[in-house]
Amino acid sequence: MNIITTGVAGTMESSDIIVTVEPKAGEGIDLTLESDVMQQFGKQIEKVIRDTLAELGVNSACVSAVDKGALDCTVAARTMAAAYRAAESTDYVFNEVKKK
Amino acid sequence: MNFMISEVAGLSGPQLQKLTEFLKSSDLRYEGGAEYTVFLANDEGELLGTGSLCGSVLKYIAVDESLQGEGAAAAIVSKLVSRAYLLGRKKLFLFTKPQNEYMFRSLGFFTLAESGGAVYMENSRHGLDDYLDSLEKGGGVQGAIVANCNPFTLGHQYLMETAAARVDTLHVFVVSEDRSDFSFQTRFELVEKGTAHIKNIILHKSGDYMISHSTFPTYFIKDKLKAEKANSDLDLTLFAKRIAPALGITKRFVGTEPFCRVTNAYNESMKRILPEYGIEVIEIPRKDAISASEVRRALGKGDYETVKKLVPATTYEVITKQ
Repeated sequence: MNIITTGVAGTMESSDIIVTVEPKAGEGIDLTLESDVMQQFGKQIEKVIRDTLAELGVNSACVSAVDKGALDCTVAARTMAAAYRAAESTDYVFNEVKKK
Repeated sequence: MNFMISEVAGLSGPQLQKLTEFLKSSDLRYEGGAEYTVFLANDEGELLGTGSLCGSVLKYIAVDESLQGEGAAAAIVSKLVSRAYLLGRKKLFLFTKPQNEYMFRSLGFFTLAESGGAVYMENSRHGLDDYLDSLEKGGGVQGAIVANCNPFTLGHQYLMETAAARVDTLHVFVVSEDRSDFSFQTRFELVEKGTAHIKNIILHKSGDYMISHSTFPTYFIKDKLKAEKANSDLDLTLFAKRIAPALGITKRFVGTEPFCRVTNAYNESMKRILPEYGIEVIEIPRKDAISASEVRRALGKGDYETVKKLVPATTYEVITKQ
């Protein structure tokens, strides 16, 4: 999946996460995460975002996320939605969000 | 606590009054420009929080004390950010008091500069770095001028010629906000044409990183003079700490300001702040006391003879055609 524009999904309300996916020059995922529970779950949230993008075949993107205590399934869903929007793709494949 | 959120595009009549009153109760002042406003109310319809989008700047974010710490500000900012994205505005900014910096940081904003009781924040960690990377670089001893050039006069030309003769590379930042009589595109074109003979000059768009009087909101600073000082301190700190080092600028040139009190105060702040960061400020006496506002006045009256005496031929040609 090619990231061609900025895609955003989610909110900054409690138990949610807002994920912004933008194009990036070159390979790799450049991820900035801000979270209320960084100490406890920062690594896990980052893993869910990276795994979700990898499953979608996104290998170049600038991603920023502001987390307000979202569960993994929410993190994955918001990441997917943001990536589809950033790819301007509507070929959704609604697989069940995998358990991480 | 439960609250209802409603969104209003534009504002008028009772809603505007409601907003103005609510802001007043939070020690803030409504100073116009709200394109899109979020209202947060309880079940009884009592207003408990607001926030507005003005161009790409989030403004007037206020929450009633009873709701603070309940995620109300997050709900408001969230709505404003989503709306801005829908409108295609991806780079967002805000100005706030230092005590609110932490809260906005937790909402995905990053600090660009802090000074004089105000903090300037952007919703991207690398926005400023991307801007700095995109600028053409020079070499040797490098100087800078920041100017609006509304329009480009013989005074600007003289300032740039004099400054360019004293450095190896002269960076000229043309203020890119479109709040002047002449559009950015026209102003930039006039500077390009009027400085074509200066070989060691590099022209830049100021982007969102030079804060002018027109964008800086003063609504959260009570005292007007203090607000002006906060504006210039913030702008100069950002320039000195981030922009100048990225380009290797060690001198900043400015024309003397005999007319405008605000600009003169800005020049004084420049002399106070920039040397702290190792940047020399060089004031160049203004040529024949020419000012762009004088040109605009003459244009307004249709007095083309006066205009002709104040601007280079390249400017005259373009503005009389318009």
